[in-house]
Parts: sequence; structure tokens; C-alpha cells
Amino acid sequence: MKRVATILGSVVFLGAAVNAGPAANGVEVRDAYARAVPPGQSNSAMFMQLTNDSGTDRALVGAESPVCKAAELHTHIHQGGMMMMRRIDRIDLPAGKTVALQPGGLHVMLIGLKQPLVPGESVDLTLIFADGSRQLVKGPVRSIGMPPMGGFHEPH
Amino acid sequence: MKRTIPITAIVLLTGVLVWVIWLWHPVADQSRVGRQLGLAAPPPGGDFTLRSWQGPLSTKDLRGKVLLIYFGYTWCPDICPTNLALITNALKALTPRELGRVQVLFVSVDPQRDTPERLREYTAYFHPSILGVTGTPAQVTAAAGLYGAAYHRAQAADSAMGYTVDHSAYTYVVDPAGRLAKVLDHGTNSDRIVAAIRSLLGGAGVKEGPISDPQGTMQREQRP
Repeated sequence: MKRVATILGSVVFLGAAVNAGPAANGVEVRDAYARAVPPGQSNSAMFMQLTNDSGTDRALVGAESPVCKAAELHTHIHQGGMMMMRRIDRIDLPAGKTVALQPGGLHVMLIGLKQPLVPGESVDLTLIFADGSRQLVKGPVRSIGMPPMGGFHEPH
Repeated sequence: MKRTIPITAIVLLTGVLVWVIWLWHPVADQSRVGRQLGLAAPPPGGDFTLRSWQGPLSTKDLRGKVLLIYFGYTWCPDICPTNLALITNALKALTPRELGRVQVLFVSVDPQRDTPERLREYTAYFHPSILGVTGTPAQVTAAAGLYGAAYHRAQAADSAMGYTVDHSAYTYVVDPAGRLAKVLDHGTNSDRIVAAIRSLLGGAGVKEGPISDPQGTMQREQRP
């Protein structure tokens, strides 16, 4: 029974997300990926580039993912050598601008992982915008050893 | 027009208040740590004993090796894995002989969640030369104090995280004689980490020849 409910729930959930349509609100999502985590790790983070081509200011106000109990918007405040991670209510997406969710800064925190995040697999994430629109994003799981573009330059 | 000035003042003061409430407290905690250590004086470094999955581990028993000491916690989703990944890539760039003279210690500042067994699982994911250690809150505070590492548990009632740990993200590099030699910033790239390690290993770490502390002996000494 439980399994049926979960499957039905997932179908409804995914259906709703896909119906929202990727381009409905004019925000283009690129390079989305989730970080692979060590065994036993209950949290991870998802990163991406959000470009608002809509001509209207938008804001990201939440996220949901079937891989975790809670997905939250977080940022890092780097001050006086201290790294402080805080939950935030919204990520503003000014018209015509690209906002980067990247290591060391803004990210979608995946809390209470229900499954291990293995490189090569993909994570579904539904972004929720201030105007109520939703957008389904699929991102691959990437190994921690290969941080992406952005702040850190590493040998490959 | 006359009202503009008071309204501006109110808006400005509200802004200051919001800033004080949201941003000032964690910084105040950090500067308190700084004051305890004396901001003018660099952290002295020194020996500590904490617990790994193998049992008690004393840095005194690691003389002859270059130590990289990083203070963090396993629930940290981004900052700690980033630095551990950079350190891991640095370790992979070392020769086997150099690697035998390097030990990385990941000191958990969240002993409530990070048991030595949990740390074993976590650090093994990155590199076998990284050992996770922790201790009682007092022991961890003392070890962090020696190196000037700051941390502060931040309640996060608004988040499913429950609490997070604000922490400094430096890597402390200790020379084979046990002295704190270098402090590497968050996000220091792997090449610079390799250079820091090699500069402290000196010729002995690079050239072939007898070394005073064969790797096998050092590893046995780590075990209680």
C-alpha cells in the first residue's frame, strides 16, 4: 500500500512539475548538478546557473526533490575567515541577469537524503518561483573530486 | 519634504538593526575567539590527543611527518568537501615516498554527530591518508584553540538541518618537527598544497635514500 501511495505521489508530483514547463517563466537553468556524497552522508547540495530572460524580475523561493526529505535555499556568508551557512527565503533573479548557485555560495541544500547520490545518476529538482510557477530540473550527480567551473581550479 | 529625513533615518536605523541581528552575532563570537588568542599573535600550534576509529591519536606520535590539520564537520555540505577534495588531489600528486611522510587529520568540531566510526567512513571516501579524529567538546575546543581555528554552533530552527556549525576553513600545515609552519586559506588549490607539503618535506621527501622514520614504524605508532 505504502509503495503504491509513493509511486502515485511521485507520478502526481512529477506530472505537476513537468506541466509547469521549463520555459513557462522565462528562467533558463543550465549546468545543474548535485554533489556525490560519501557513504552515510545525509546531506548534499545542488548547484546551477539561472538566467532570467523574461524581462521581469523573478525570485526562487523554494525547491523540492524526491531524493531528500527537505530541499532548502542556502547561502554561505564568508566573513572574517568564518564560513557561515544560512537558510534564506529567496534568491532574487533580476531580469536579464544570470545568478550562479555554486560551491562556496548560494546552493540548494538537499537534507535527509533518502538514497545515496552516485556519480552518473541524475537528480530531479523542482524549483519554485515567487510567482508560483514551478520548473523541473534534472541534474547529474558529480563526483566531489571534480568541482565544476567557478571558484576552484583543479587539475583534471 | 520635511518628513523625508525622519523616514530616511528610520529606514537606515532599521537596516542597521537588521544587520546587527542577522550578521553581527556570529562575527562577535568569532572575534571573541580571536581576542582570547590575541589577534596580534599568530596561533602557536602544538600537540593534542583526540580519538580516531583506531583509538587515541596523539600528534606527538606523528613526528617526522608533515601534518595537514583541518577543522570541520561531516554534515558540512560544501566547504569541507571542497577543501578535502583539493587536499585529496594534492595527495594524489605526491610520490608514494612523499605520501608516506604526510598525514592529514580531519578534526570534527561536531562530536555530537561525528563519531570516530562515522569519521572513518567519511574520510575513507576521500583518501586513505586522511584520518578523522574528534573528542569531547572540551578536547576539541582545546585543539582548535592551539591552531586558532574558530567554530560556533548556530541553531537553525528554520531549517531541517537543526543546527549548523560556523567554522573557519583553514588548513594548518605542521612540519616534521611538530611546528605549525603554514596556514592555507579556504579553497587553496591542489598545486599550492603540494608545494607547501614539499617545502616542508625538504630533500628527504623527494630524493631516494635512508629516512629516519620508516613508514611502517610511524603507522604502528599511530595505533594505541
